[in-house]
Amino acid sequence: MPETAVKGLKRAWTTAEPLVSVTDLKVWFPVSSGVMQRTTGHVHAVDGVDLEIKAGETVGLVGESGCGKSTLGRAVIRLLEPTGGGVFFKGEDITHIRGEHLRALRRDMAMIFQDPYASLDPRQTVGDIIGEPMDVHHLAKGKQRQERIRELLRVVGMNPRYADRYPHEFSGGQRQRIGIARALAVEPTFIVCDEPISALDVSIQAQIINLLEALQAKFKLTYLFIAHDLSVVKHISNRVAVMYLGKIMEVAPGRQLYKRPRHPYTGSLLSAIPIPDPAIELQRERMILQGDVASPVNPPSGCRFRTRCPRAREHCAEEVPPLESYGDEHKAACFYPLD
Amino acid sequence: MTQPVLEVQDLHTVFATKEGTVKAVDGVSFELNAGETLGVVGESGCGKSVTALSIMRLQRPGRIVSGKVLLKGQDLTRLTEYEMREVRGREIAMIFQDPMTSLNPVYRVGWQVAEPARLHHGWDKKKALQSAVSMLGRVGIPAPESRARDYPHQFSGGMRQRVMIAMGLTTTPEVLIADEPTTALDVTIQAQILDLLRHVNREFGTATILITHNLGVVAGMCKRVVVMYAGRIVEAGPTKDVFAHPTHPYTWSLLRSIPRLDAEQHEPLRPIEGVPPNLVDLPSGCSFHPRCAFKVERCARDVPVLLQVGESQRSACWVTQAGTELKGA
Amino acid sequence: MIGPSRVAELEMPGAGVETAAARPAQSYWNESWERLRDNRLGMAAGVLILVLALIAVLAPVFSAVLTHYEPQTINLDQTFVRPGASHLLGTDELGRDTLTRLIWGARVSLGVAFLTVAMSLSVGTTVGMVAGYYGGWIDDVLMRLVDTVLAIPAIFLFILMSILFRPNAVTLAAIVASVGWGSVARLVRGEVLSVKQRDFILATRSIGARDSRLMVRHLLPNVLPVLIVAASLGVGQIILVEAALDFLGLGIQPPTPSWGNMLTNAQSYFFHSGFLVAFPGITIFVTVLASNIFGNAVRDAFDPRLKSH
Repeated sequence: MPETAVKGLKRAWTTAEPLVSVTDLKVWFPVSSGVMQRTTGHVHAVDGVDLEIKAGETVGLVGESGCGKSTLGRAVIRLLEPTGGGVFFKGEDITHIRGEHLRALRRDMAMIFQDPYASLDPRQTVGDIIGEPMDVHHLAKGKQRQERIRELLRVVGMNPRYADRYPHEFSGGQRQRIGIARALAVEPTFIVCDEPISALDVSIQAQIINLLEALQAKFKLTYLFIAHDLSVVKHISNRVAVMYLGKIMEVAPGRQLYKRPRHPYTGSLLSAIPIPDPAIELQRERMILQGDVASPVNPPSGCRFRTRCPRAREHCAEEVPPLESYGDEHKAACFYPLD
Repeated sequence: MTQPVLEVQDLHTVFATKEGTVKAVDGVSFELNAGETLGVVGESGCGKSVTALSIMRLQRPGRIVSGKVLLKGQDLTRLTEYEMREVRGREIAMIFQDPMTSLNPVYRVGWQVAEPARLHHGWDKKKALQSAVSMLGRVGIPAPESRARDYPHQFSGGMRQRVMIAMGLTTTPEVLIADEPTTALDVTIQAQILDLLRHVNREFGTATILITHNLGVVAGMCKRVVVMYAGRIVEAGPTKDVFAHPTHPYTWSLLRSIPRLDAEQHEPLRPIEGVPPNLVDLPSGCSFHPRCAFKVERCARDVPVLLQVGESQRSACWVTQAGTELKGA
Repeated sequence: MIGPSRVAELEMPGAGVETAAARPAQSYWNESWERLRDNRLGMAAGVLILVLALIAVLAPVFSAVLTHYEPQTINLDQTFVRPGASHLLGTDELGRDTLTRLIWGARVSLGVAFLTVAMSLSVGTTVGMVAGYYGGWIDDVLMRLVDTVLAIPAIFLFILMSILFRPNAVTLAAIVASVGWGSVARLVRGEVLSVKQRDFILATRSIGARDSRLMVRHLLPNVLPVLIVAASLGVGQIILVEAALDFLGLGIQPPTPSWGNMLTNAQSYFFHSGFLVAFPGITIFVTVLASNIFGNAVRDAFDPRLKSH
């Protein structure tokens, strides 16, 4: 990692501290309506999240639509400015930085997007797409740039000759590899993967998952892996955080989460995921939730999950349950957890 | 043994494109028995949706070039459009993937659910609406009388899918085709809808074709399964057997490439190498052979035929038909 | 987790060989061009416009070769000559050769049209891009400006301008463009708003690109198809506007020939020398038709989904 990567780093940071940390993070979007377009409310997309990501680990973030996981990912990488709380990278407060300072940060953090068809500019060649980060930060020119582009294509498993082709000539899986190569162009430390395989065919997903793991080992990357498929997230992550309506319900190492979930939402999520094994499927006990996800504009008081929770009691409406520790990096926010 | 409710025999559907003719459905045959749920599984482009649309004769701009679709013995491919309209919605109902766009936004939900009954049974408005309301209740929509007066945008995705199912069942059809009914839904909602489909299958006894790319869904819902690749069926058989010992390399590799929620250790995934084939320019012989770990010389020359392999399964693979068992690292 | 040996495995070009290998690189522009080429009628229209533009640019050459006359030479012996051997398209009330005047008129009419389109496109695109990209108060202010400009009854503006000074081709183009840029701005803003939502814009921001880079290198090329269509259709529109202005006496003044003022001029002689009306009329009609056909063909070429089957 070049030392000049992040300018203005105020204090020294060691790998003993978390690489990325988020404290009481809030991201609210105003909702306007009416003739005068007044702000009538807010979408509480992320509503008080605490999370730490250590150097070299993969933290998975799961949740269903509207839970705020994508918003959280974008806030962490500062594609959005948080409405409240703080984001820290390598010990430095990056919550409200702007301009050149923010631009310098972009050399250390990168993002991979969900839709391989929309995340590449259809008017640019593959080489230019991958080379653009280098151009923006003046990292390489001319022959060196070309060579670097070719090397990146090789690293993601594509033929370097494809540098002068256009995105639409490639399949979804190949485009995703191009997106990954672009993210690697600046040699980042931290990559946010926002649903990187959801739009791909099942037989291709495994290729990309393996690629991401291999790259992590090779380049010592740290990932925030956002997805709605818990099977995939559990496979690739060290720890998994479960989000619901803007808050984290439970965090635990993947295996622990599956074996002994504490939060009822995690329990129902796990029981809802179909397993490709007829013998298991037929005798599974299902915890099927009633109703739909509540609105993030007007989240329920107290515990947000209480409207669908089979274990909810009066207390759940009165107070917001804090994240309690259940030993060994396992935390859950519930007053009446599963045992 | 009673006759199967639906029989597809050597169906071929093609699409004409600028690059050439796409053989979307390339010789597909299968049976659906009364009361059962058959899974049709495969990835995008394998032809599963086009097969379903061909059964409904909704495959345009594609053309059915040969084959038969027998509904209780009657060949649907031979019917006139007028006759086919009698069948659609009354004998065979279809539910689509995207509940957001499958309902007409300008009509009330009750009216839309009542429409098939009005069209096919000739009921008057009042009777049809009453039946629609009762059906909405049976698919789990709370307060159906007032909800029937609402418009689609007032329903969530899961609720809309329930409405679609209600619409499909109004005329108590023989066959229900569900094309990726839960793919666009959140996983907890998916569980609700799958539960509903199971319940509906028990209560109404409707034979169901469940089309999906999710092997877990098939495992939990279908007694028998058919696996498709590049327009052809590559494997068919009871779900238990196909999952426990697959007899086609594609099924075998696919099962091994999926991360399992219940996996104990972190084992590296074993992806299927290569990319799905270009349907205009299919590989010679077996369409899967470029990606196959078990291929032999013959695979590149001759197109395999779906034949019995083992007790209960059928597979279109020269290698397994010759007796080789699929095993690997 | 996974050892380095796995990476070596992945560095083999195993994953992406087949489809893209054989053919040469096919950019979006190439594909659109091919689609356009397949549209015979559209291509014919495009060629026609090209030929007319060529005639306009090389007017002196064409008129010297075809007719040997000057556009403004008055010859009172040869008034109202019917189309024939000596004057292929006849002469007008001052004995001026019609064909020569049509050729030179092309310069004026097409010149004004292209110039106007160029001007309104430049201003309109810039305003629309900035408004669409930044949103917020910048968008509000700029769009209110656009609304105002669009609300001005163009006719009054033209009358005012004509009273103040005699317009030549360049100033006429500027005047027409000054009201025309508004709809271009709206069009571009709409496109920008939709393209802005796409993931690749977010991706480019995530690598730290500046706004200017985003707008010029990413938004503009993706907005270009819409502009090209607008330009093609605009040429036809402006020719009609210019003709209308001439009709009202507000445009290019005689003796400089333009198709519009030739038409206006010939009104009085309609009954005995109808050809004087017919020729400029047909020329305008054919040119505008060609511009519309070409514009639609370009639109279909860029976005075949819009075509109705």
